[in-house]
Amino acid sequence: MASDKSAQSPAVSARGVDKSFGRIKVLDDLTVDIPRGVTYCLLGPNGSGKTTFIRAIVGMLKLNGGDLQVLGQPVSQVQTIYSRIGYMTQHKALYPDLTLQENLEFFAGLYSIEKQERERRITDLLDMVNLLEHRHRLAGDLSGGMYQRLSLACTLIHEPELLLLDEPTVGVDPRLRQTFWDYFDRLTSQGKTVLITTHLMDEAEKCKIVGYMRAGRMTAVGSPDEIKRLAGLKPRLELWLKEPEKDAARLKDLGYEIDSVDIAEGLVRIRLQSHDRIKGLLEEVAPLDMRLKEPTLEEAFLRLSEAA
Amino acid sequence: MIGMNLKVDVDPRRIGVVALRVIRQLKRDRRTIGLITFAPIVLMILFGYALSGDMSGVTLGLVDGGGHDVLKAHLEGIKDFNILYLGSESDAERLVSEGRLNGAVVLEPGEVRVLLDATSIQISNTILAAAQAGAQEEMAKLLESLASLPSQGAKSGDMSGDVNLIVTRYLFGYDLEMMDTVGPAILGLVVFFFTFINASISFIRERSQGTLEKFMVSPLSRVEMVSGYVLGFSLFTLLQSTTTLLVVTYGFGVPMRGNPLTALAVVLLLGAGALVLGSFFSNFARSEFQVVQFIPLIITPQIVLCGVWWPLQSVPEFIRPISYILPLTYAGDALRAVMLKGAGVADILYPDLFALGVFFLVFFLAATLMLRREVG
Repeated sequence: MASDKSAQSPAVSARGVDKSFGRIKVLDDLTVDIPRGVTYCLLGPNGSGKTTFIRAIVGMLKLNGGDLQVLGQPVSQVQTIYSRIGYMTQHKALYPDLTLQENLEFFAGLYSIEKQERERRITDLLDMVNLLEHRHRLAGDLSGGMYQRLSLACTLIHEPELLLLDEPTVGVDPRLRQTFWDYFDRLTSQGKTVLITTHLMDEAEKCKIVGYMRAGRMTAVGSPDEIKRLAGLKPRLELWLKEPEKDAARLKDLGYEIDSVDIAEGLVRIRLQSHDRIKGLLEEVAPLDMRLKEPTLEEAFLRLSEAA
Repeated sequence: MIGMNLKVDVDPRRIGVVALRVIRQLKRDRRTIGLITFAPIVLMILFGYALSGDMSGVTLGLVDGGGHDVLKAHLEGIKDFNILYLGSESDAERLVSEGRLNGAVVLEPGEVRVLLDATSIQISNTILAAAQAGAQEEMAKLLESLASLPSQGAKSGDMSGDVNLIVTRYLFGYDLEMMDTVGPAILGLVVFFFTFINASISFIRERSQGTLEKFMVSPLSRVEMVSGYVLGFSLFTLLQSTTTLLVVTYGFGVPMRGNPLTALAVVLLLGAGALVLGSFFSNFARSEFQVVQFIPLIITPQIVLCGVWWPLQSVPEFIRPISYILPLTYAGDALRAVMLKGAGVADILYPDLFALGVFFLVFFLAATLMLRREVG
């Protein structure tokens, strides 16, 4: 772990950042710290300001107010540390009329990476994104998911300290997505920071910290578990019973929170205060079948946005 | 502020990286490479032959009332005219008004009348010019015969001197055809056209495929990026202009009296100007489709106002300043000087090379500054 780096300033630190396009406020008094050495997920519906925030971080937008620091530098100086930032836009940002090798060579060239080192990295990255055998194919001939993978490889070629990935796994199959995540973990264990935007909850679950954005503000920040707790969500137990009505009434008397009863199905849904109560419950009723449902991040955010 | 930051550090290696990429992309674009070869051929045929102004198949009625043998022989000797002999002037009038004749010449001892259909000015001018030339020839013959009379011997020298008041001396191009005079300009036009279109489409793509945004978050500066493009396209322009030069000189026999390298230098400077102009204008287009719509706005004025097909003197004075800001005006002038008059670099330095250089610098700066604004 690069603890010396984590001890420094956050990778990104925003204080009251405002950005408007005309009369539309896209970032509204946004305040957040993104620590170093973590995968941080910016989650939120379309138009919540995720991409705008990333573009603000790379200094591509003139802010209307607030203070923004990137790797300890004020954002007005961010161009001096561009070689330490990797930025993958929602556009794939590749040349379809160049081969995979040529695309990677080009981006490596922009960062003045020496030839031998460049070749090593190209091979490693193409291997990681599972495109090694397509090395000399034209990028334009790749499928959507492959194109996305190549785009990620091009973003990683200069081994950036801070990775900003705008929806990086769109169109990537689940197995390879896992490879990405493993790679991101490897990067964060080296002290690098990965900031990802997504609107996919299962992706967000994999991040160390999730920041939920809504209307240009950060409405909730924490680990996925913390956010579920914050939303006040409880695990649900589904029980298939012979006499659902009778059993449900009895459980209710015992202080269990009955969520719903489906007589036709013989199904009773219960909200649990804690997992400890399952044992006591099973002493009261003998279900034909049962299933425990943990709250999802999605439910947590739905709850949070309703509350907001 | 952020938007004002102009990165000016320049690393030649990064320029080389961009140039290499541009060349690799152009190399794969077979259609463009094919167009480079064929476009000059098509343009040479179009502008060299079709618009040469030479006429053939002009039908001329001739009413011979006697007395003008020399003029008559002159008209009959013009191979572009198909002559129809008519009995009376009224026949001629009827046929001209019906459109079956382009014009008619009525020869009578005391007078020669030319009947014209001026709905086509070029044709009627040709007929009129032919009739006038014939009349002059006749007059000359007449004076010659007067001079040969012994009694008038003393005065004859003076009289023939009067007739030969106008002496034409071709300083350049006495042996040139329309084809030769447009050849050099076509070289410039082809390079300008393709570089402008290719460059603006390339920049549009950089923007639409998101690579421009990626550059902005990399050590590559705007100056390096545009310079890389200029370098990459220059190699391409060199190939294109060499091909065009070969087509124009060997294929169509346009002379190359100066140093071909001087001509290539002019074309390279013009190409660089077209590139930065394309880059600049790509900021005003949202798609490749819109780039094509720039052709009437950017390319056509260059063709019309560059002074090759229509001389600058024929351009109305209030429009003429536009001619003097268009690069093709200077490139056409310089290329004609090099190819037809054998001019060297020193001869075309001012105003031609100077103007092309200024044009390039102005739009290089404009293109570089515009890149940032778009992203911000």
